[in-house]
Amino acid sequence: MDLGIDPERLNACVQCGLCLTACPTYRVSADETMSPRGRIALMREVQDRGAPLTREVVRAFDTCVQCRACEPACPSGVQYGSLIEATKATLASRRGGWIRALAFAPLSRPRLLRAGSVLLGIAQRAHLVPRRLGLSARIPLWRAPLRASGDDVWMFTGCVMDAWQRDVHLATQRVLEAAGFGVRPTGAGAPCCGALHVHAGLHDRAVALARRTMDGLPGDAPIVVNSAGCGAALKEYGHLLGTDEARAFSARVVDVQEFLARHVDRLPTVEPLALRVAVQDPCHLRHVQRAHEPVRTVLRPFVRECVELDDEGLCCGAGGAYSVLEPGMAGQIRERKLSSIGRARPDVVASANPGCSMHLAAAGVAVRHPMEIVDEALRLSARAGR
Amino acid sequence: MGLTGALAERRDLVAFADEVGADGPVAVEGSRTRWSVGGEPIPGVRLVRAPSGVSAYLPEEMVVCVGAGTTVAELSSVLASSGQRCALPARGGTVGGAIAVGEQHLDVLGRGTLRASVLEVRYVSCDGRLVRGGGPTVKNVTGYDLPRLMTGALGTLGLLAEVILRTNPVPAASTWLRADGADPFAAFDALLHPSAVLWDGASTWVHLEGHPGDVAAQAAVLSRIAATTEVDGPPPLPPHRWSLEPSAIRGLTGRYVASVGTGLVLRDEPQPLRPPDAASLGVAARMKREFDPTGRLNPGRDPARR
Amino acid sequence: MRLASRTRPRRGVPERDAALVRELVAAVGAPNVRTDDAQRALLRRDASVFDGGDAGPVCFPRTAEEVQAVVRAARRHGRAVVPRGAGTGLAGGAIPLGAPVVVSLARMTSIGEVDRDARAVWVEPGVVNLDLTRHLRPLGFHFAPDPSSQQVCTIGGNVANNSGGPHCLAYGVTNAHVLAMDVVLPDGEMARLGGLDPEPSGLDLRGAFVGGEGTLGIAVRIAVRVTPNPPAVRTLLASFSQVRDAANTVSAVIASGIVPAAMEVMDQRITRAVENYVGAGYPLDAAAVLLAEVDGLPDGTAHDADAIARIAREQGATEVRLAADDRERALLWKGRKTAFGAIAQIAPDYYLHDTVVPRSRLADVLEQVYAIADRHGLMVMNVFHAGDGNLHPLLLFDAREPGMLDRVHAAGADIIEASLAAGGVLSGEHGIGVEKQAYMDRMFTPDDLDHQNRLRRAFDPECAANPGKVLPTGHSCADIQQLSSAARGLWV
Repeated sequence: MDLGIDPERLNACVQCGLCLTACPTYRVSADETMSPRGRIALMREVQDRGAPLTREVVRAFDTCVQCRACEPACPSGVQYGSLIEATKATLASRRGGWIRALAFAPLSRPRLLRAGSVLLGIAQRAHLVPRRLGLSARIPLWRAPLRASGDDVWMFTGCVMDAWQRDVHLATQRVLEAAGFGVRPTGAGAPCCGALHVHAGLHDRAVALARRTMDGLPGDAPIVVNSAGCGAALKEYGHLLGTDEARAFSARVVDVQEFLARHVDRLPTVEPLALRVAVQDPCHLRHVQRAHEPVRTVLRPFVRECVELDDEGLCCGAGGAYSVLEPGMAGQIRERKLSSIGRARPDVVASANPGCSMHLAAAGVAVRHPMEIVDEALRLSARAGR
Repeated sequence: MGLTGALAERRDLVAFADEVGADGPVAVEGSRTRWSVGGEPIPGVRLVRAPSGVSAYLPEEMVVCVGAGTTVAELSSVLASSGQRCALPARGGTVGGAIAVGEQHLDVLGRGTLRASVLEVRYVSCDGRLVRGGGPTVKNVTGYDLPRLMTGALGTLGLLAEVILRTNPVPAASTWLRADGADPFAAFDALLHPSAVLWDGASTWVHLEGHPGDVAAQAAVLSRIAATTEVDGPPPLPPHRWSLEPSAIRGLTGRYVASVGTGLVLRDEPQPLRPPDAASLGVAARMKREFDPTGRLNPGRDPARR
Repeated sequence: MRLASRTRPRRGVPERDAALVRELVAAVGAPNVRTDDAQRALLRRDASVFDGGDAGPVCFPRTAEEVQAVVRAARRHGRAVVPRGAGTGLAGGAIPLGAPVVVSLARMTSIGEVDRDARAVWVEPGVVNLDLTRHLRPLGFHFAPDPSSQQVCTIGGNVANNSGGPHCLAYGVTNAHVLAMDVVLPDGEMARLGGLDPEPSGLDLRGAFVGGEGTLGIAVRIAVRVTPNPPAVRTLLASFSQVRDAANTVSAVIASGIVPAAMEVMDQRITRAVENYVGAGYPLDAAAVLLAEVDGLPDGTAHDADAIARIAREQGATEVRLAADDRERALLWKGRKTAFGAIAQIAPDYYLHDTVVPRSRLADVLEQVYAIADRHGLMVMNVFHAGDGNLHPLLLFDAREPGMLDRVHAAGADIIEASLAAGGVLSGEHGIGVEKQAYMDRMFTPDDLDHQNRLRRAFDPECAANPGKVLPTGHSCADIQQLSSAARGLWV
């Protein structure tokens, strides 16, 4: 059957296998059906040779975290992300994507999401939330408001993150302001980037959200993003919509660390925090945006020690909604990450993506956003100087 | 084909094959320096001698093609004329004998193992044919590895006629140092690629080779561990070779000279037999049947009794 | 051998396997046996262009004893066994012929404690080559063989292929780094081959086993040598206006008595492709570049690096550059190691050859390779382990073009002939697999091949281990019985 994959792109894979160990699901399963090379071969079996979509084939596609670590590992430049997105979109439409569509509906409806989050927060406090959802930190019932301080940059606030981790937005805004930038939070004008929809194969909905986001953020100002997953999605609007307008929009998108690394000299010099920080690279920062180095550039002046994990940026298993949809596999992948963190012996792990930080925190890891760490160093210093 | 043309056109090799023939027990005689390793040939066995002489030497390729009957001393002097050497042990005897026994050089850490240096073997099979295994290049994975199989086989699977060996440049500087009271394991750990670290339970002898500046720097490293004296060479070596796991050296008693990092130990008495496990003996027995079903090659010798 | 094709008929899971599968499940547990079409179809191939036909049941043992149990179960049913690591082989050594039981060793990944006295460590066969080196790095060691696929390929696969890599020039190929192995023989017995001691008793079956391409048994525990990390490393990049000058530099360096850790040459086409891919700072105008690395202690490496630079200039190098720091060094190596993939961005298909010639013949044979490609109307790029004469000509093509595969086939045959005529060998590191079986008699006489066959038969009298590989038709285990799907004919 036609999976809707561009045959030229599918043909680009030469089956060399150099992607295998970059793939978190292959790493934990040692099963080639759960590797990028294997999944591409199965796409070919289905699309080119008419193989049926058996349970095992569907399972192979479902288990893909879409971390896209295979892309930098691929010497042939196979655009795996687009192959698996097309495959997932086809699968979603076949099995009635409406269940997931419904589940994802609140993401683009801030009030609905907010109401749901408050309910979830209350349920959490009443111990009514199943562990497999992997919620760790308590979902806040009250949030400090976000206020614009200028128009130098947009700060993309998104959906889940704004509902559950507004503190990170507040910290991000303060750091940007400390570097001298006036910040305008995007808020309800651009309620959701659509990343999770793309992942789940809800292509049409993702396109609609992209259009809405672009309409909501006019002008030339950089769109600064502190969620690696959102940043990656926003940077791919050009590819998703295929228009010049979308490409121009994507060119404005910049990860907050990437942005600050260019202006690191504008941040005040302060006493570093007495912390040994291990940097966890979110896949969508490292493999998709390829902008993980700036996290270190920005963090280093503000902490005693910045250490690397020894797993070459292997996925943590969060994968947007993956940890909820595939909890078993996500847990095994996380185990690898946890042992790597254990070897690095950090005081805290810095993660620039809300999904990763929640997934790791659920396993008892002390995780903070790099912006929270920088913000704390700046604030402590300001207090001391007073 | 290869370094010296087709084997069938090499008169010396063909003559050796004809001499070995296809019938009756036959053993190769070299210099008899390791004559009783793995058992002596049965009495009355017909003795033959392998061809000798260097038939091709290409220093820039780091390979030499040499008759198995050539003495190691003769080969060494040919190689030395081009500033090179090989991994064959310096204890004397013939090239073929050393390879058939599979004995390492005392400087194995610096020179590399003998088995890794045998690139190609040309031998006479039990039915008197000339057979070639391996190839003349330093890198080769073409087919099954007959050179490795023949090394250390005591001539029980085929009689070596000629071999191609990898050679290496002679290092610019070389020095032997004796360190009294040093922990030889600490010395081994502290040095990068020493050629030999020998220990008799009291003193440590270290052979350093390489670029002069590096040898001096390594000597300085050693002198920080213990007082060192420059010496002419290794201590007198007891006659019998023992092959131990390197960590077993720590528990040795009595008179010995042990090579740290390799597990080679020289002692006054021979090492007790240490037969391989039953499954690998089974493979070895099938190998013998495949290569010499009538048992005519070097009868009386057995690699598992080495 | 059949080339991977676009269409194929589908068959269901064979009923005749039911009893076998029950025993395999008893051996390794149900979650570790796969019989579904998806899995079996996937394992038809490795990284080569050959299609072996559907695999039989696929097992994922986790211990040596489970491997033994799988092999025994397969034997009881008269089925062959094919071991598989990461499936990165380029000669088709891991493809299943005759629907054998495939034994994936990828779940056996434990690494033992380093024996510092012996400079050795026991590992399981599924350990990834680069994972081992990363594991050893904090202890001050590494595993020396470093094939270009090292981030993926397994130690078990390295043993089967006697793998090389750029740094094998000074340190030797896998055979020099395997001290001992526990091996499940094709009859299901477990044997200890070799030992940590320097002169193990008995025949050197360890040495014979390495490079056996899975036809002699399955290594389930491997004691590998660990090599101390050199304190000093220098990496040079020399540019040349002619490929011949680069090749001659390599010969002259060795002739001068220097054995660098690595010497690699890339021609202009591949250098441009690589530069486009990684941006390592390779010169785009040079006809060839030589990447040379020396390591060891500071004085010797400085001396050797200077000497190599001088020799390169004498041989006509237009520029010689020393990598300024670790970052630049890593980038240069990244370019070299991803060279084959970078090609894939230029043409949809490529065929990578692997022959060895004497170093002094490099320049001549390279010129012949270019002429051969021209004659067949193909584009060729050259990137190779120049230090040990190991050529890797890459033929680029589009398989969809009619008649193309015949031309690629013919050009490949000519390259092999040219290499052999220059006194070289068929394969330096990829092995024979199914790729070069038909050429074995170009290098060896019938007597030579007969003796190789005897070596194999001693390990595997019943042709139970990876049949149909290495030796050409006419030798035992070379012809597969009851193999409906293996239509012989076209291959590239």
